[in-house]
Amino acid sequence: MADVINQTSFSQSQPHLGGEITILVRKLVKRFPGVLALDNVKFELRKGEIHALLGENGAGKTTFVKILYGIYIPDSGEIIVNGKKVIFTSPLDAIKHGIALVSQIPQIIGSLTVSENIILGLEKYGMMANVRKIENYIREQSKEIGIRVDPNTEVWKLSYTQKQLVELLRAVILGAKVLMLDEAVTFLPIREKRRFFKFMRRFAERGGSVILITHKIPEALEVADRISVLRRGKYVGTVEAKNASVDTIRKMMFGERSSQITYERLPLSKPSEKVVLDVKDVWVMGDYGAFSVKGVRLQVRAGEVLGIAGVAGNGQLELVQAIMGLRKVRKGKILIRTNGDVIDVTNKGTSKIRSLGVGYIPDEPLKYGVSMENNIEENLAMLPLISKGIIKWGQIRKKAQELINEFKVVTPSSRTPVKLLSGGNIMKVLVGRELSVAKKLLVAYNPTRALDEVTAVTVRKIIKDKVLKHKLAVLLVSEDLDEIFQVSDTIAVMSSGRIAGVFPAEKADREQIEKLMVM
Amino acid sequence: MRVIVTKRVKPLRFGGIIIPFLSIVIGIFLATLALYGLARVPPPLVYGAIGQSLISPQMLQTFVMLTILGVALIIPFSAAVWNIGAEGQIIWGMIASAFIGLSVAVRYIMVSQAELPKYTNMPGMFVLPTPTVSGAYAVEALTMSPGAAIALMLILAAISGAVWALIAGLMKAYLDIDEVATTLIMNYIAYYAYNYIVYGPLQGITISTSGFGLSNALHPELRFARISTTTTATWEGVGLMIAIFAIAWFVLRHTTFGLRLRILGSNPNALKAAGINVRKYIVLALTISGAIAGLVGTILFAGNLYQLIKIKTITTPPTHNIGYTAILVSWLSMLDLRGVPIAAYIVASLFQAGINLQSSLGGVSGGSAMISSGALTYVLIGFVLTTFTILRVFSEYSIRIVREKR
Repeated sequence: MADVINQTSFSQSQPHLGGEITILVRKLVKRFPGVLALDNVKFELRKGEIHALLGENGAGKTTFVKILYGIYIPDSGEIIVNGKKVIFTSPLDAIKHGIALVSQIPQIIGSLTVSENIILGLEKYGMMANVRKIENYIREQSKEIGIRVDPNTEVWKLSYTQKQLVELLRAVILGAKVLMLDEAVTFLPIREKRRFFKFMRRFAERGGSVILITHKIPEALEVADRISVLRRGKYVGTVEAKNASVDTIRKMMFGERSSQITYERLPLSKPSEKVVLDVKDVWVMGDYGAFSVKGVRLQVRAGEVLGIAGVAGNGQLELVQAIMGLRKVRKGKILIRTNGDVIDVTNKGTSKIRSLGVGYIPDEPLKYGVSMENNIEENLAMLPLISKGIIKWGQIRKKAQELINEFKVVTPSSRTPVKLLSGGNIMKVLVGRELSVAKKLLVAYNPTRALDEVTAVTVRKIIKDKVLKHKLAVLLVSEDLDEIFQVSDTIAVMSSGRIAGVFPAEKADREQIEKLMVM
Repeated sequence: MRVIVTKRVKPLRFGGIIIPFLSIVIGIFLATLALYGLARVPPPLVYGAIGQSLISPQMLQTFVMLTILGVALIIPFSAAVWNIGAEGQIIWGMIASAFIGLSVAVRYIMVSQAELPKYTNMPGMFVLPTPTVSGAYAVEALTMSPGAAIALMLILAAISGAVWALIAGLMKAYLDIDEVATTLIMNYIAYYAYNYIVYGPLQGITISTSGFGLSNALHPELRFARISTTTTATWEGVGLMIAIFAIAWFVLRHTTFGLRLRILGSNPNALKAAGINVRKYIVLALTISGAIAGLVGTILFAGNLYQLIKIKTITTPPTHNIGYTAILVSWLSMLDLRGVPIAAYIVASLFQAGINLQSSLGGVSGGSAMISSGALTYVLIGFVLTTFTILRVFSEYSIRIVREKR
């Protein structure tokens, strides 16, 4: 056991040396075809600090941490770790220097158990690991971090949140001295997030350092010691968190455009009497053989945004997948009305449902929303609602251009493979595409995930605008209560697979809803 | 000093042309060294044979078949569906063509030896060279126009190849059984089925064919027309090649079907969420591939062989393993349709070079004459492809040397 603990030698409390510099970055430049992703960026990470890195979509945050993790190699510039100049050509190099990256998408191997995934990285114990010892160690460590997970479960059985927690656990157990979190905790439920932030503080007090990428400014102000801001690949500045406010950070991030950020409720629409989506007592099985959705009844009318609030993992995902025909409905009915006809779409398949004019913004957009290897035009043309049979590339190009202009997608051209765009810009492409095909209904799961505030507000306005003007019905599932309150006409709360309450937006009480969410 | 290898965000420009070209030059050079080292084959002889084969009309038929097969394989390959079963699909194409050409499109008239001269010169009649078991001679008489018969051969061959691939496609799509294994295993099933058929339903009726694992010979009017006397390539084959290439190009680039096939290769989940039946696409990719491979069966049967000949050992089928060689062609093209004819040309030339080399080695004394043309061919192709595989790394990775300051 003692051996295992040596892996994380930092955890034996070392003096807290606030001023010592762990990572120093100078004049970092990274170019991608057609884009200058990082332009002379500097950065300084001190030992024992939590350093938030903020910036709008495509500012270069992800590129920056990927360079520190050895995934990308910079075109020029210097990286100095603990006083020594380094060149990382693979994550292995970074891990050797105690640098770990946890990103938004879990990278762990689904067919292995939690402990197997963790043992994989423990080089010393790779071949002859005493599994039970390590399992116990994992249990201890996870308690310490505030994570409850059985080391013996296979990873594929875990929810997104649990997978993400395992990623964090792994980084810590592997002996990371620098934790880089690229929106890794953004989508964790509040309770887990709080616990993890507490752990982060302890981690820093013991001499570890954290680079925290988030698009939530209040969060950064709350947990970080210092905040650095990037804008369009350039370094804007670094401020002490205690001297900064949401406004000053927003100005650094967006400049003039920061005035566009608002969390005021968007104008309420007057829904018609026509019910577009009618979910009748629907039961859906989750991945573990138990019902995740237990008798949900919902109605979304034309010209209405129904927001479903809830902590992730309470059946929202399964409900949305069932509505889209991607998961089997065990009991109950799903009806969609188009021009007077009410069509039973229960278990009729995604293509049937889509053909009625239904747009879909899925969870895990990079996996289910777009094809990363293909370009923007191809990602539009792949939808049966956009292209059938012979593709008219001329028209598709025009459509792609319109989308790029409307959503201000940062891309060299409409023929750029989507994988070369930043996460936020990919999301814009997806949202734009789905809005363009949603003639009757839009089903959206966290549609502004990974978008910066300005873009997120813009997207919500565009969605609401379509609802007001074209009487679109929208079913919006979001883990972000601000978002729910900003766009919804009606708010439903989902908890443990059931609808715990439905409120008209003007009468909804935030406290009451938060209470229902965790009931 | 440190060498840094990084994956390129975008593949090397013109890498698709430079890399295959370089691999051929380097690969051939290495192959000559190996041939000299192993069997004292004089390098000038190798270069001569290769140079000759590049402009030799004899390689044309191989080129035509490899191009068609390359296209047939790129369709499922771009969807990450691996059809290793072109061999079996070709075999079924041959059987189907033989069925039409030897039994549907002709009827057999039995004549005595005395009557024979009357039929020998009669238009539309084809006298089989040896007598039948009963002593009489058999004459093949067409039951339909040659055009209709050839069309039927092609259609049935395409259907047969498609059905053979469809079986693997259904297993892959609905039971999630790996198509690499099924298509490969089904090649051998096809070989044995072929042997059963040449000893059974399609066995010849003359004394030199019946029971010897040979079918009757194809009626000359049903045989494809050779382009010239110096080549075995046929007008029909070349026409099919151009048509198939053009259609495949259009489908892959300009239809939603082609686009979705390509997306299926990288992200099937996105297709599902878009409302596309992914299973259908898997099945179709294999079926279309099988249909095209089936057509090659007709080209081989009606263009070259004219007769089904039993497979003595499964390593020497009448296809000369061209269904496997085609996999190399589609890899060498880097799964880009435009690269297929180029890759097919190179591989066909090397094939021919092996044959040429062997005949020129006949005059050289010593052990080198023992080398079969097959061995020579595969030494050449093997070296080129190995070089190609290594060089391809440069297209996807950049290599930089950095000087570190101490």
